Amino acid sequence: MSDDKNTSNAIPAAATPEPFSPVILRHIHEEGSHTLAHYLARGGYETAKSKMGTDPQAIVQTVIDSGLRGRGGAGFPTGKKWSFLAKGTGKPIYLAVNGDESEPGTFKDRHILEKDPHQLLEGVILTSYAIGSHHAFIYLRGEFILGYERLQQAVDEAMAKGFIGKKIFGGDFDLTVTVVRGAGAYICGEETGMLSSIEGGRGYPKIKPPFPAVSGAFGCPTIVNNVETIAAVTHIVKHGAAWHKQWGTEMSPGFKIFCLSGHVNKPGVYEVPLGIPLTEMIEVYGGGMRGGVKLKAVIPGGLSAPVLTAAQVADVTLDYESLAKAGSMLGSGGITVLDENVDMISAIYNTMRFYHHESCGQCTPCREGTGWLEKLAHRFHHDEGREGEVDLLGDVAKNMRGRTICVLADAAAMPMQSYLQHFRADFEARVKAASWKERTRSYKDEITPKAKASAKVRTENP
Amino acid sequence: MKTLSSTRLEKAEAYLTEYPTKRSALLMVLRLIEEEFGHIDDEGMAIAADLCEVTTAHVQGMVTFYTHYKRPYHGKHRFMVCATLMCALDGNTDEALSAIKAKLGIGPGEKTTDGLFSCEKVECLADCDRAPVVQKDNEHFCSMKGEKLEGYIDGLLQSEGKSAADYKNEGPVRMDSRVQTLPVHFNFDGENTRGARRLDDKDPYLPPRNTTEKPRG
Ligand SMILES: Cc1cc2nc3c(=O)[nH]c(=O)nc-3n(C[C@H](O)[C@H](O)[C@H](O)COP(=O)(O)O)c2cc1C
Ligand code: SF4
Ligand code: FES
Repeated sequence: MSDDKNTSNAIPAAATPEPFSPVILRHIHEEGSHTLAHYLARGGYETAKSKMGTDPQAIVQTVIDSGLRGRGGAGFPTGKKWSFLAKGTGKPIYLAVNGDESEPGTFKDRHILEKDPHQLLEGVILTSYAIGSHHAFIYLRGEFILGYERLQQAVDEAMAKGFIGKKIFGGDFDLTVTVVRGAGAYICGEETGMLSSIEGGRGYPKIKPPFPAVSGAFGCPTIVNNVETIAAVTHIVKHGAAWHKQWGTEMSPGFKIFCLSGHVNKPGVYEVPLGIPLTEMIEVYGGGMRGGVKLKAVIPGGLSAPVLTAAQVADVTLDYESLAKAGSMLGSGGITVLDENVDMISAIYNTMRFYHHESCGQCTPCREGTGWLEKLAHRFHHDEGREGEVDLLGDVAKNMRGRTICVLADAAAMPMQSYLQHFRADFEARVKAASWKERTRSYKDEITPKAKASAKVRTENP
Repeated sequence: MKTLSSTRLEKAEAYLTEYPTKRSALLMVLRLIEEEFGHIDDEGMAIAADLCEVTTAHVQGMVTFYTHYKRPYHGKHRFMVCATLMCALDGNTDEALSAIKAKLGIGPGEKTTDGLFSCEKVECLADCDRAPVVQKDNEHFCSMKGEKLEGYIDGLLQSEGKSAADYKNEGPVRMDSRVQTLPVHFNFDGENTRGARRLDDKDPYLPPRNTTEKPRG
């Protein structure tokens, strides 16, 4: 099945045994899809009910066999993560569902939370049962207002029905589901940052190891998974591992939600089998480039993913390996299409501003590095780059990588490095003609008390 | 002294028992305080600290780290405009910001002198396919620019009994009262006019208090 992928031309489903139609997003356009009545009418909670009292390890094995990989960004095999859970510690086990969705360019979890929260809850029940957790947290970013209301309503409805709470489905399994609202911090999407936030502190990431599966929330073993991952678990447990594996590629089985934004005719969320060509995503699903303008670059996996040039776009397919081979990553599935009119320098300046703003400030290379990158990019943005600063950008970025508590520093450095690699000429064109040495001299000459008093301070970046 | 209403206090108690530790209920307790008083000020922080059995310093650390909580220095109507790349493409963010500027005379980081409206740039609001994305307190809007945004602001103005003309000739004030150069009376002996913040000033966001105080030095 995976090999068939490359030979399929236009429609991805044709090459697979069962034509693909959206799974997680199937019902989002239907009236009242977020209500319990709607969910029950389409067989909701039956899988969870039927699994109660069965061997939890069997569910873990199904997820391992399905090859499901985390949809939050890192793409770590979900079943494998579950099997790392520290056992016999005598401490409670927690499940923390990551609904922070703060990676720019990503807007898939929003649709699950707002339009089909019950399938997420069923996944939470199945996952909790599989890993033996009696308390699950669902962490939502504070800006999700409707999502919070709908999810909390879904939790209340499920609780009233006895699907969560004490002795769920009349069996002997207890499960508390707690919805936590964050309050506007990108870093709370990082798993350990999110756990710090759930513990009632600032969202400071913690050094790994120990990984959350060994020592996470409140010092107890904790499994962290993305909202989409948990929603996929619902369907995998229902239909089986083989069903999931019929789509996708060998190493990236299944389907994924992609969020298409930028200069395409039809931006939006599209759930497709993994492994379809990126050009198909843009041309078929996205309806082609807006206004027929030529493609310049694509950011394929959220803002942190290294940028791909138009030439690279032609060759990559949307799966973890292909994008990694092209030097980028699938990340969270946020695809941003940039057309020829985009000024890549202002794009990278905007990107760096984001990371500088969102760095939590614990690690010097990240706190200072993101600031430096922003300041330097700001200069290029104003055509005031100085000689040697193109290299300085690369140097700062290089020295930020792999030296910090969490990978936000890498997430900031990677786009910068990729822009430098692919659009170096754009940077060089923005270096002021005069060399830095000459400019300092002339600047010093100019500095008379009068000039000093009238010197304006740029305050564009409040 | 402010107190939480009994229904919210009950809700807070429910959080405190549901969460594994009292401290971990803090994020949600702060939301209750925000709901009750409209924003989180010193007294609100003290209430949260009492309920969650943490120090007020910890609570202050939280509300200054998390940017989404509404603080006293925000306007009654708080505009948050997404300024991250996907929204900023094609000048969408700028269009939203300039519509706000045209109607209310405020740019990012500023509020109107009457404190009714404030404007700020925020990062990605996870709805990037319909730029620009704008939130006004608890309301979320997509493709919010041009007539749609202007009409919305007009509605707000009307509900406040104001009109855009009221803000025409009024300069905006900085939303965040952390001014770079503090008024002279804030300085200690021997400090220059760019002096440091008063050491006993607990909250840098509070407006300078008691301006009639005898200038030092
Ligand atoms: C800076 C940073 C931000 C992240 N933001 C998110 C996020 O918003 N949502 C998310 O699900 N995962 C995010 N992640 C990934 C999580 O750390 C974690 O890998 C993920 O939630 C695990 O779930 P999964 O295995 O189901 O993908 C982020 C990671 C980093 C380093
Ligand atoms: S890398 Fe940056 S965001 Fe991550 S912990 Fe260090 S300072 Fe914080
Ligand atoms: S960039 Fe504005 S909502 Fe994502």
